[in-house]
Amino acid sequence: MSQYEELKTTMTDQQYLVEALTEMGFNPEVQTDGAALKGYGGVTWSRPVQVIIPREQLRGALAPIGFGRDETGVFQAVIDDLDRQYGGLDAVWLGRVAQSYKERQTMAVAKTKGYIFRGREVVQTPQGPKVQLRFAVR
Amino acid sequence: MQEKLITIEIDENGNSSVDLEGFHGQGCGDVAKDFRGGDAVTQSSKKREFYAQAAAVKQSQQRT
Repeated sequence: MSQYEELKTTMTDQQYLVEALTEMGFNPEVQTDGAALKGYGGVTWSRPVQVIIPREQLRGALAPIGFGRDETGVFQAVIDDLDRQYGGLDAVWLGRVAQSYKERQTMAVAKTKGYIFRGREVVQTPQGPKVQLRFAVR
Repeated sequence: MQEKLITIEIDENGNSSVDLEGFHGQGCGDVAKDFRGGDAVTQSSKKREFYAQAAAVKQSQQRT
């Protein structure tokens, strides 16, 4: 039987998290007051999560994924252990979410501070793709 | 005049680093601070220009 597990992230901004998931092709639900997660066979995660990817959007997954704020305000990912082990919803997947989140956050900071966007490049490495964002000073 | 360029690299885990070209002295720290303020940069490194500027300041201080 599967069970939910919590995976640590450093993401704190809900807007960038939702944008990152949307960019990855999901249509996440936002539950401002938090909601419980319910997975395969009645498996539940009782701590409230604020961002949910419904199971139907996760091809072949047993359970929806949630992102819930911990006591310090940081989002932690809640993923079914079988989906993590066999469904590809693992640390690598979560790393892609974090990468996309960071890209959005960086673009927002650059815009706020008045830097001029000069381009984006994706560099393939043995560890995975790295995103390079270039800016110039006004 | 050389354009000041900032490259932010974001790895496959969402960790980021900043690389600066054309900056001298304190300008490096200001840029790193801008991006670190939004938690966008977790690592930063100083280029040769920074150390050249720092060495010039040190020499100037020794003369006085």
